[in-house]
Amino acid sequence: MRPQLRHLKPRLRQAGIVIVFVPLFLAWMAGCSGRRSEPLRGAVDVSDPQVAHGQRVYMTRCDKCHPGGDAGLGPSLNNKPLPGFMVSFQARHGLGAMPAFTAEEIPRAELDAVVAYLKTLRRNG
Amino acid sequence: MQLPSPYALASVVLRLLVPALLASCYAVRPTRGGGETRSGDQVRAYSAEDIALPAGYRIEAVATGLTFPTAIVFDDTGGLYVVESGYASGETYEVPRLLKLLGPNLFAAVAASPDSNGPWTGAVYVPGGAGKGHGSFYVAEGGHKKGGRILRVGTDGSIQPLVENLPSFGDHQTNGPALGPDGMIYFSQGTATNSGVVGEDNAEFGWLKDHPEVHDTPCQDLTLSGVNYRSQNARGGKGEVETGAFSAYGTKTAEGQIIRGEIPCNGAILRISSLGSRGKPGSNDAAVGKIELVAWGFRNPFALGFAPDGRLFAIDNGYDERGSRPIWGAGELVWEVHQGRWYGWPDYSGDKSVDHAEFTPPHGERPLRLLKKPPGPWLATQAAAGKSVPEAIPDLPPVPAAILPVHASADGMDFSTSEGFGYKGQAFVAEFGDMAPVAGKVLEPVGFKIARVDLSRGVAEDFAVNRKGAGPASRLGAQGLERPVSVRFSPDGKSLYVADFGQLMMDAKGSHPRQRTGAIWRIWKEGGK
Repeated sequence: MRPQLRHLKPRLRQAGIVIVFVPLFLAWMAGCSGRRSEPLRGAVDVSDPQVAHGQRVYMTRCDKCHPGGDAGLGPSLNNKPLPGFMVSFQARHGLGAMPAFTAEEIPRAELDAVVAYLKTLRRNG
Repeated sequence: MQLPSPYALASVVLRLLVPALLASCYAVRPTRGGGETRSGDQVRAYSAEDIALPAGYRIEAVATGLTFPTAIVFDDTGGLYVVESGYASGETYEVPRLLKLLGPNLFAAVAASPDSNGPWTGAVYVPGGAGKGHGSFYVAEGGHKKGGRILRVGTDGSIQPLVENLPSFGDHQTNGPALGPDGMIYFSQGTATNSGVVGEDNAEFGWLKDHPEVHDTPCQDLTLSGVNYRSQNARGGKGEVETGAFSAYGTKTAEGQIIRGEIPCNGAILRISSLGSRGKPGSNDAAVGKIELVAWGFRNPFALGFAPDGRLFAIDNGYDERGSRPIWGAGELVWEVHQGRWYGWPDYSGDKSVDHAEFTPPHGERPLRLLKKPPGPWLATQAAAGKSVPEAIPDLPPVPAAILPVHASADGMDFSTSEGFGYKGQAFVAEFGDMAPVAGKVLEPVGFKIARVDLSRGVAEDFAVNRKGAGPASRLGAQGLERPVSVRFSPDGKSLYVADFGQLMMDAKGSHPRQRTGAIWRIWKEGGK
């Protein structure tokens, strides 16, 4: 047991540091502006067909609450470094005030396109 | 035993933690509407530097110190006119006026309302038969005191009501107008309520006390589902009252009850002739004031505009999260308007029924449908009456051409027709900005900008925004846009003029507008030809 404990403590310490600092990092990111639109950052590059498709789906399903990926009725998406699978998870399960969107409402390919558009938007400028 | 790496552990924690954070943030975060600030007490200043535009575009203030400007009009000599509303929510009454811009900040009053029956929500110019400069303005008069009207205003200041007694005593008024390629004057009439049921919110707005009999009037016969809503007696009595759809406050309805339609009605786009029976402008015969229904089932189709190809578009202000039947998450809808169609109010937002979970307020009740069945296209009733109908029209509302942000209050629209400005064929939209907290909670200010909408793709993008952040200049301590309410391209199409309503603060009691803080901005493209 003792060798395992010695092995465990530094790993837990490292994990603890990550667990404390990552939420702080997220909170700091949340305080950053989510504004990415053309007048401020230049035109969003939607030359990739999947990104262009994602933009159209986003406008139909998401933009009304997260205008341009920024906060409005709902929170900003642009200032949260969420991986794509978490964006998809949120859309499918509708946590908090956000409603869930079924695969009938937003098919998998469309959801993937929305994620691709959001990543492009987040990087804009 | 092999322990996971710290990064794997952190990944697992994040997968659990971040959704939890996202889930909780809406409920605990306060509303942060653009008008929810006290900083508007300062004198307004104007600076183009505080407004961001796409590369190559410039903006300047061409007139300042106006009181509640709502529209910009050009006559056929290129003269620029501004409509001052004469009314702002918050029960602030002024004199509605039509002003001609003579020079920078120099105006001459062309006409003023004799009975302060504002707000004057918009105007168009129709050329006359006696040469340039001898046409008439057609003004939509909201009619808070005496009902909505469409007025013909001469360049000599004469005012002639063409249509009167439009149902404008409720939440929304008579809006528009727009001149169609067919020579008809198109205008809109908003609904009396947020979502079909008179409630406490209407008492807070003030009109229920003055007009206790007012409710929404449909344009065609409806069959009700019999859903009634309870509310505290907002007329000063004790206890609760129950109110049904399309009925006066405190009046219950029953399943299967039929509400008779009539014209004029609420939530409609209507039209009158500007030409008269002889096809000449300026006529005074009965044909001029005869109202025709174009389409209905809207909530408050404030912005009307004809695309360069002649199609009519309208922007309908979406439901609010207020009153007896609050509806959450309903965007501003850009519609292509088809003759005779029903567009869904009060049971749909776009092509979706409001009993979908998407529209249920957090911790609130799911809205129930008020209609037993959709009324179907209005033209179908005309066919039943033996009149000719041009085509079969579906019963349910169509898919909107675009959806704009919830509570953005998209109130003005015009189309680019010139390569000299760019984005030819696209719509430019003035977003007045949210009215939180009265209209509902927002996490950050929504609107307060000019958007560009590619209606062929349903894609809306920012065009003119305040550089310092989201919200009106007064909130940001800046000198840029306050509340853009309408847009109009110059006759040559090279300049986009923006009517900026001015400062309007909000709190839980309502809105607090400030006189002499309105402005007109001009946007143009450098080197535009």
